[in-house]
Amino acid sequence: MRIGAPALATPLRGGYAERTITHAPAWGWLVAWDLLFNGITTGLFLVAAVCELAALDVFARAARAAYPVALVFLLIDLASLVFDLGDPLRFHHMLRVVKLGSPMSVGTWCLTLYSLPLTVAAAISVLPGEWPSLEAVRRVAIIVGLPFALGSAVYKGVLLSTSAQPGWKDARWLGGYLTSSAITLGCAGMLSLSAVMGEERAVAAFRFALGILVMVNLIPLGRLAADVRSALVRIYSPRELVGLTAVCLVGGTLLPLFFLLAGKAPGVLVAAALCIALAGLAIRFAIVRLPHASPWRTERQLRGNQGSVPRRQKTWST
Amino acid sequence: MASREVVVAELPQHSKPAVGSLSDLARRLVDPFRTVSPPEPRPATGFFTDTTVCIGCKACEVACKEWNLLPADGLHWTGNSYDNTDELSATSWRHVKFIEQLAERPSAAPVAGATSAFSLERLLQEPKDGRWLMMSDVCKHCAAAPCQQACPTGAIIHTEFESVFIQPDICNGCSSCVSACPFGVVTRSSLDGHSHKCTLCYDRQRDGLVPACAKACPTQSIQFGPIDELRERARARVRELHGRGVAEAYLYGDVPTASYSELNSFYLLVDRPAVYGLPDGPVNPWLSMKGDYLRTIGSGLATIAALLAAIWLGGI
Repeated sequence: MRIGAPALATPLRGGYAERTITHAPAWGWLVAWDLLFNGITTGLFLVAAVCELAALDVFARAARAAYPVALVFLLIDLASLVFDLGDPLRFHHMLRVVKLGSPMSVGTWCLTLYSLPLTVAAAISVLPGEWPSLEAVRRVAIIVGLPFALGSAVYKGVLLSTSAQPGWKDARWLGGYLTSSAITLGCAGMLSLSAVMGEERAVAAFRFALGILVMVNLIPLGRLAADVRSALVRIYSPRELVGLTAVCLVGGTLLPLFFLLAGKAPGVLVAAALCIALAGLAIRFAIVRLPHASPWRTERQLRGNQGSVPRRQKTWST
Repeated sequence: MASREVVVAELPQHSKPAVGSLSDLARRLVDPFRTVSPPEPRPATGFFTDTTVCIGCKACEVACKEWNLLPADGLHWTGNSYDNTDELSATSWRHVKFIEQLAERPSAAPVAGATSAFSLERLLQEPKDGRWLMMSDVCKHCAAAPCQQACPTGAIIHTEFESVFIQPDICNGCSSCVSACPFGVVTRSSLDGHSHKCTLCYDRQRDGLVPACAKACPTQSIQFGPIDELRERARARVRELHGRGVAEAYLYGDVPTASYSELNSFYLLVDRPAVYGLPDGPVNPWLSMKGDYLRTIGSGLATIAALLAAIWLGGI
């Protein structure tokens, strides 16, 4: 493929050089919520499972409460995935093939295989009374679910970065940020559950751990921001960028740290978790918007809004 | 056509398909999972589009819409030369692009010897300092197609002719292919929710016919045939143009690059690809996928390690 023909003697105008070539996928606000719910369910499961396996006596009660909550968030996430399809009634076509080269296929299978042990773990967790004979089953389900939960958390970022879309295609650290953020969200969820249940030792452990994770999460976020800097500068005004930075640093980091240091009251700790979730949602909205706000589309949308150039109406009738 | 329909109708029906909502549901659930053996490979075919002879008649667009029964898009004034198709879409699988490269100059400068506002002499004496490029754009039918790699349902396949085809009964409109295509070809329809693009007239090819657009093209700007033959023909055409002083003529997509495969629909251009709305250096997104997976898994494991370390440091 030869690139760049000899320059013409006279600078000429015209052509399509100023346009964005790619078509943005029809992934809107529902996908931003999907990214958040995916992060919460996988993060909650990963943190609950890892902590329970590491120190059973301290985290067992909170973990038992976490699996049903993770299942609820998984169901909401799956529903948002289905409704985001162009033809939701064909959602089962996703299971026709296993394609390791397709991040969406990998994600579909990971979510499917993650849902099964999660359902088992959640079901056993909510059984009334003690069921020692089922405890081994629950633990096996948790161990089996771990790699698929990690796969479900991992695929989202790779799905978006393996694309030709402006912004996403350069976002080498998008998957890293989303996965790290998912585990941070899971830790925040576990802290909230522990606080509400009055598990003091678990609260103490998760308070400290969440403070660390909130800061650790800034590393992939910073790398991601550097990756997509040019796309961010192109689509957001300086004022919006300041707002986005404030959301990341103040809403998603400093405020939660302040709440974590402020006390052990459940309300304060839940507020810290909510701050992390809301900041995560805002960042996910900004990420999802990247390919949708190219200069060309923005210009067309502006003209459309002014009513001078109505968007074409497509009908099957000729 | 009519006689063939009569013959088909007269064929004895050996079995009647089950009807009813339950059988419909069963069909919806089971049919997508049925597989058939793929047809025997045939010689790869494709398009060679020589933009230097395109006259912008849009016969290809019309022929494509007619043959594939694509709906009209409505009249939409873009303000961009004669281009009112705007872009390739789910309902426009061919798009004729118009590139006016005319230098700005003061209007109505008097020409010596010309007496009226419009005259042949005046036209002949006008400086020729511009040109009008035209190109009929279409799916590139990439040898390693990102849309096909992205498709999680297996709806997008390479046919026996090595063209890229979306199976309309399988696609569920997930839009992965839309996101992956660096040429902005695949589009999800707002009408049926499925992705659509040029099929390289797969149905016509199976019957030994030339695709509708190539058949309709009056200047042979769109040439169809075995891909190796087309490449030879295209290179000969470039040599011919160079010999005639069109030094800027070159082929786009005839051979693979470090970042992208060869295209089974390739072009002869005389300006930068971006001027025609083509990426200067297309990149297959899959080149970065392994690294992205490794980085992502590493980040996840590092965060879990940080969590466990913090818990132990916290005294548990």
